[in-house]
Amino acid sequence: MSYILNRVFSMMLTLFLISAITFAVTNILPGDVAMMIMGTQSNPEALAGLRETLGLNDPLLVQYGRWIGGMLTGDWGSSLVFKEPIAPLLVQKMTASGLLVLFSMAIALTCAVPLGVWAAVHANRWQDTAASSTAMLGVSLPDFFWGIMLILLFARGLGWLPSSGFVDPAEDLGAAIRHALLPSLALGLGLMAHLTRMTRATMTGILKQEFIRVARAKGLNEGTVVWRYGLANAVGPVMTVAGLQVGYLFGSIIVIESLFNYTGMGWLTYQALLNRDIPLIQASVFVIAAVVMLANLIVDLLYAVVDPRIRLS
Amino acid sequence: MKRRDFLKTTSALMGGTVLYGLTGPAQAQSEPVRGGTLIWGHSETTQNLDMHQTGTASTGRVLQNVHDSIVTVDQDLNVIPNLAESFEQSEDGLTYTFRLRPGVMFHNGKTLTSADVKYSFDRCRNPDTGAVNFEVFNAVDSIETPDDLTVIVTLTSVNAPFLSRLAENGAGVVMPEGSGDEQGNTPVGCGPFRFVRREFGNEVELERFDDYWGGPAYLDRIIAREITEPTVRLTGLRTGELHMINDIPADRIAEIEGADDLQVVSWFPLNWDFVNFNHEFEPFKNPKVREAFDHMIDKDVLLEGALWGQGAVTASPSYPTSASFNSDLGQRPQDIEKAKALLAEAGYGPNELSVVFKVTTNYPYHVEAAQIMLEWFRMAGVDASIEQLTWSDWLSQVWVDKDFQISMMNFFTLWEPDFLYYSLWNTEGAFNYRKISHPQVDALTAKARVTVDPTERAAIYKDVQQIIHDDTLDVVLWFRNGTIGAQPAVQGLDTIVHPNGSNLRFHKVWLAEA
Repeated sequence: MSYILNRVFSMMLTLFLISAITFAVTNILPGDVAMMIMGTQSNPEALAGLRETLGLNDPLLVQYGRWIGGMLTGDWGSSLVFKEPIAPLLVQKMTASGLLVLFSMAIALTCAVPLGVWAAVHANRWQDTAASSTAMLGVSLPDFFWGIMLILLFARGLGWLPSSGFVDPAEDLGAAIRHALLPSLALGLGLMAHLTRMTRATMTGILKQEFIRVARAKGLNEGTVVWRYGLANAVGPVMTVAGLQVGYLFGSIIVIESLFNYTGMGWLTYQALLNRDIPLIQASVFVIAAVVMLANLIVDLLYAVVDPRIRLS
Repeated sequence: MKRRDFLKTTSALMGGTVLYGLTGPAQAQSEPVRGGTLIWGHSETTQNLDMHQTGTASTGRVLQNVHDSIVTVDQDLNVIPNLAESFEQSEDGLTYTFRLRPGVMFHNGKTLTSADVKYSFDRCRNPDTGAVNFEVFNAVDSIETPDDLTVIVTLTSVNAPFLSRLAENGAGVVMPEGSGDEQGNTPVGCGPFRFVRREFGNEVELERFDDYWGGPAYLDRIIAREITEPTVRLTGLRTGELHMINDIPADRIAEIEGADDLQVVSWFPLNWDFVNFNHEFEPFKNPKVREAFDHMIDKDVLLEGALWGQGAVTASPSYPTSASFNSDLGQRPQDIEKAKALLAEAGYGPNELSVVFKVTTNYPYHVEAAQIMLEWFRMAGVDASIEQLTWSDWLSQVWVDKDFQISMMNFFTLWEPDFLYYSLWNTEGAFNYRKISHPQVDALTAKARVTVDPTERAAIYKDVQQIIHDDTLDVVLWFRNGTIGAQPAVQGLDTIVHPNGSNLRFHKVWLAEA
């Protein structure tokens, strides 16, 4: 328990630092949000008025203090460019991206683990080469390539699934899933390749170990040896990699989100940055960082569950 | 399109925007039917939905259907009644009296009165609102409302463009009294469609407003999906997920026109583009150097190369059918030798002049155009390079800080000549980011402001264009076409383009299969 508290405390500290750095860095960037709002219809007078209204003329520390104060009291403010309250916006976009990450992770794991095990069991035979080549193909081709291929096949060609857009699962679960399927598949294919290679590598190592030989010598059936004894020991490293991938996914999701016009967190953060919309940048970076750290914490906790030898202290 | 064809077209068809026409299999026109939801793949993300505060064409394009302005323009850009059923200007040009249309309903169920007009105008002119068009009301002395349907605006000095500027929603929109704070995310107006919701960055939903004073629209609903990636938009149109899309990328228009199951609407101008010189950059202080650069550019080839010919070259930025369009003005032909000679006269031998071309990636065709021009600049012995800037960097470096040597920009809806010429070329102009200071242009643009007679005013603006061209204050390149791609079921597309060339009106659009 104290372990968890410790971790949460250090997470808070990291988040605070991240928010301070983000704030400082975005303020160094040239240009400001007033300019972005008015674009090429702005004139110096109107621009000055808008800057005053938005509080951009206050000292930086005052602006940062106002933001941190708001965050602590649960008031996340409104986007300056889009005039939308930030908290519901984050919930909506987080749901969208969360759905993608969850789906692609599920797709990747269900394919990667059996494939990796299969390759390890048949190490250095044709099955291994086949599995490794498939994995290699997934790693070498970028996810937007898969995205385009999937759109061509399932949306343009067969017409089974929509080519773009996002539907809120609370509104229509079926439609939400159909819209999330292709982008998840595109993300999942690249991810699967990573995880397959990871599973294969770990499993090959484990299958060579003493206790596996003992299990076989005891006359246990090969299925039990591989899945009960072998895989149980390989789950840890695979999980760690999968956990790290959550962070990677939130970072790289933007390409797939643009390709499928599936506006989620990646898209939101990018828009916020482009528009110098500081409250929105702060909040999105904060939430993404929190989610990534939380994912890693959960992985560490699960470690203890799947491998009782590990004591968290 | 060559200049000659262009002039032929403009003289053949009248209108602020010239509809090139519809191609493709528009279903046989039958009687309009009511009903259906139109799904529009919109090319841009809407931002702040407050019509006073928003400066982006994307938001104005959608809000055109939610709001109505006090007056409006016809296809020839003449100011005509709208929410005001009549208007008159006093002889001295200082007093405008608007008689409002009775019984106009807002989406919130209230009836429009003079108090709403006063509220809207006051809100726009209040500097605290941060309204983009607040300077329209600079000369306003008082706004009086003697009765529910009369508004009298008195100016301190003659401001000839005042009425025309009220014909656009930016300044002329009428919002219900007291609705200012909610306009940003739930706009309320009296237009043909009611704002229902926005799922930010994803879609905007509008619903027919049955009590619209101009008669209810045909469509039940419009869903404007915000799809900024052109390829994604095109795919959506081809799979049938979208009924229509705006802004087909120039290099794909031929493909859509060739598809026998889609229709294409194209018109001009959507906007116009020009090349800018910083007039405080030492070499560009000399008009000979600016003229030399003009001679380096082959406008027809550039139009083909950067826009696949989707536009028409022009030396005048006035709307092609507006009274102030100077049709006598021609562009300088490309002449590299002459350019070299002019540079030599100005004291710059081969490779003695080096310039940086700042261009924004926000308009990919600007980057392509700059790359082509760079080759010509080099041929003329100029050591040139490109700096590609994001939109925010361009705005801050070029627009606000005026830190550039040569650049390129476009403008969408500057059809009102004072808004166009005073803002861009007067020393005091709000959009004069090139630091141009030309005494004659200053005098003429100021004179036009107080000239009420339309013919006289148009003549002044023609002179301004002549000076801009003769002294090469900027190099005006072309009008760019606007395009819409649509399924055959979408009807009434001939009415969709607003005379300003940028906004889309769905009031008379209908779906044949509904």
